[in-house]
Amino acid sequence: MSTSVLVPRRRGPKPHPRIAQAKRTWYLLRRNKLALVGLGIILMIAGIAVYSATLPLPWSNVPIWCATDYGPQNSQSGSPGNFTQDCPTTAPIICTYEVTPPPNAARFCNGLWYPDIVRSNISFASIIAPTLSVSPLSFGPMPLGGLATSSGSRTPIYDVYTSLLRGSDWSLMFSVSIVGLGALVGLLVGAIAGFYGGILDETLMRIVDVFLSIPTILFVIVVVAVLSVDIPSGAGSTVIIKIVAMILGFTIVWWPFYARIVRGQVLTVREQKYVEAARASGARQRRILLRHIVPNSVFPVFIQFSLDVGTIPLLIGSLVFLGFGSLLFPSTPFPEWGSISAVSVSDLQLDFLTSCYTAATGCVIPWWQLLFPGLALFFFAISVNLLSDGLRDALDPRLRR
Amino acid sequence: MSTYVVRRALLIPPVLVGVVTITFVLFAALPVQYQLTAHFGSPTVKQRCGYQPSCSCATLNPASIVGNNCTCISPPTNTTRAGICANPVYQEYVNKLGLDKPIPEQWAQYIYRSFTFQWGTVSNHSTVATVYPVLKGVPVTTAVEWELPYTMELAALSLLIILGVSIPLGNLSAVNRNRPVDQISRVISFSGYALPAFLLGSFMVAGIVLLFLPHTGFLVKGPWCPGGEPLDEEITYSMPQALACYPGLAVGGTYPAWVANGVHSTPTGVYTLDALVHGNDWLAADSLVRILLPALLIAYGAIAGLLRFVRNSMLEVMNLDFIRTARAGGVPESVVTSRHAGRNSLNVTVTVLGLTFAAFLGGFPVIEDVFHLNGIGEMLAIAANPNPGLDFGVIFGTTILFTFIIVIANLIVDVLYAFLDPRVRLG
Repeated sequence: MSTSVLVPRRRGPKPHPRIAQAKRTWYLLRRNKLALVGLGIILMIAGIAVYSATLPLPWSNVPIWCATDYGPQNSQSGSPGNFTQDCPTTAPIICTYEVTPPPNAARFCNGLWYPDIVRSNISFASIIAPTLSVSPLSFGPMPLGGLATSSGSRTPIYDVYTSLLRGSDWSLMFSVSIVGLGALVGLLVGAIAGFYGGILDETLMRIVDVFLSIPTILFVIVVVAVLSVDIPSGAGSTVIIKIVAMILGFTIVWWPFYARIVRGQVLTVREQKYVEAARASGARQRRILLRHIVPNSVFPVFIQFSLDVGTIPLLIGSLVFLGFGSLLFPSTPFPEWGSISAVSVSDLQLDFLTSCYTAATGCVIPWWQLLFPGLALFFFAISVNLLSDGLRDALDPRLRR
Repeated sequence: MSTYVVRRALLIPPVLVGVVTITFVLFAALPVQYQLTAHFGSPTVKQRCGYQPSCSCATLNPASIVGNNCTCISPPTNTTRAGICANPVYQEYVNKLGLDKPIPEQWAQYIYRSFTFQWGTVSNHSTVATVYPVLKGVPVTTAVEWELPYTMELAALSLLIILGVSIPLGNLSAVNRNRPVDQISRVISFSGYALPAFLLGSFMVAGIVLLFLPHTGFLVKGPWCPGGEPLDEEITYSMPQALACYPGLAVGGTYPAWVANGVHSTPTGVYTLDALVHGNDWLAADSLVRILLPALLIAYGAIAGLLRFVRNSMLEVMNLDFIRTARAGGVPESVVTSRHAGRNSLNVTVTVLGLTFAAFLGGFPVIEDVFHLNGIGEMLAIAANPNPGLDFGVIFGTTILFTFIIVIANLIVDVLYAFLDPRVRLG
């Protein structure tokens, strides 16, 4: 039961204490199989993200949207047989460089709708480095997409497989940058409040209390709604401005959680002997804060960070589901996992189901559109959750019993 | 105890002022026209130029255009540009809302308005007005008053489920650590955390529709509906629309006398209670069943967060000395876990529930939107729909309402906590 000897004794010079602590944490984490599974999934997702962002560059110009073009929309009024001549066998692919997606027409022929399949190429790489290009995968095999048989649905169909690949880097980027920025601000505020104490502490913590009494999703809605009014829409607003605004909007909401966690930790670290020793040896306040207090209070931040990263795509998905896609993102649907699954879900609205039943030919419920984005979200969230559970066990000695 | 409550209650006003200050900062960041619309509602037909600061004379009065110059007939004579003059009502409304005053004074006025329940007006051109025509142009507080009971009913039911499941299950999984019960609770907790509510809720709705639709026509237009058409063309789970579909309750698609326009029922506003008051047990049961699924979904998310805390705190308590003493004294194991240790897990539940109450309420917009329930959350969700136009009156009104509820709920939680744990109130 006892785990007094955590790291096998080795000869040689003693490692730096913080490195020793990291080694001990890794050792404990390694024993937790579930946490390793979580870590593996996260690394795999990161690998996919890197892969989809840094594939070879066949073109210098990147079309943002590509869609199959079945021609302009026709009406459903004629009898199904009338359109046999127009029935497309293969559709050419058209691409645009506009931020807005191309028009989604659908042709009705032989009793079936042929909706244009729109693929978004807005990859993270294409934004940060315009010379980079899309991966060949976006036009590769498409085992999951395609909904030509659902006669009720005329909404544009997004290729699930490529969207999910495209979405991995965006999802990771949003999650890490939002939570990272929030954690950074929270770390600074919490450390200052806990370290200096007194009236500064009281003021900052009351502000944190105030921020914490606004529900996250509501706060994001209000912040983003207000920001969206101030950002001129249309030609002037570029993709980057909107995305930065969204990340900032989330950050405003996110930091107070971390401020509270860090402050609690700093209050205990402040009283440690090594802080006293540093003070006795004449270290200045700022040095004590930055070199002693902050590095020793970040472990709870890691735990909360890994927990929060998984919730960001879920939160974004909820917001898109509520209809904020156009406020949050430069284009809808945006290749981000939460956004993709929310868009897929709104396909499954009740009118679709009812029209499914009234359709004479019957219809196929696009289960793959729901299942695979859902699975992506689920595995991402659950893997970070497992990892953070393992981290908590490894970092909190009380739970190790 | 009472001194503790008073001391705790004294902390509320500063927090409330702080919360309102945040909303004020966001509100003041809006363009003036949006602020005016949020407070006074959409401009009336008479205000031809709306809340625009300037006004083309063609809009104001076609006869007033002389050559290229605009001479407006009504009050202002200040011609700024050819064909454009100052909007006569703009300055009046800006003055009325105090937007010409310095920011601190605006802030004070905003706080005064928030605390005196002047939360603005529902816009005429937002989705709220489309979905609930009765609410067009009414004060936000009226809209809130009509929609709040439904949300409270839902919240009460899901709180019951949360407390009823998380405490026993958390205790059980701590007592049977690493046994099947513990693993099940772990799965519940992890999956509830990782499954988005909108996805799960949509699956539920689809499941119900697929189960019921082809066989019975239940929940949808059909033989149940007088005239064959419900008032709302969408299948809906919300009470009033459903009411209109039940024979004997509604005649010719109108609501019973105690339901006003599909939004508000009397006397309490809670449909289940109102149906009971009006002696319709079947309807009350039906209304309860309808919110059962959404309540379960909300509870699922909250339980996921709560279970681990209850389990871990229970595990910590089980190692303490007084438990060993109790066991040594021959107290039966069931009494030890339920009385000695279980009391402690109640403390933790209350604390964590207080901490996560904001997240709990934040889940309502999504859930109510998925199930088409007529609650505050759905009102917020449709008010913030960017397509016809954002309704900032409703957005800011509901934000203030939610924060007020959360601050009060935190007070209740703290008092409960002090009641449960003598160390808090005496220490």
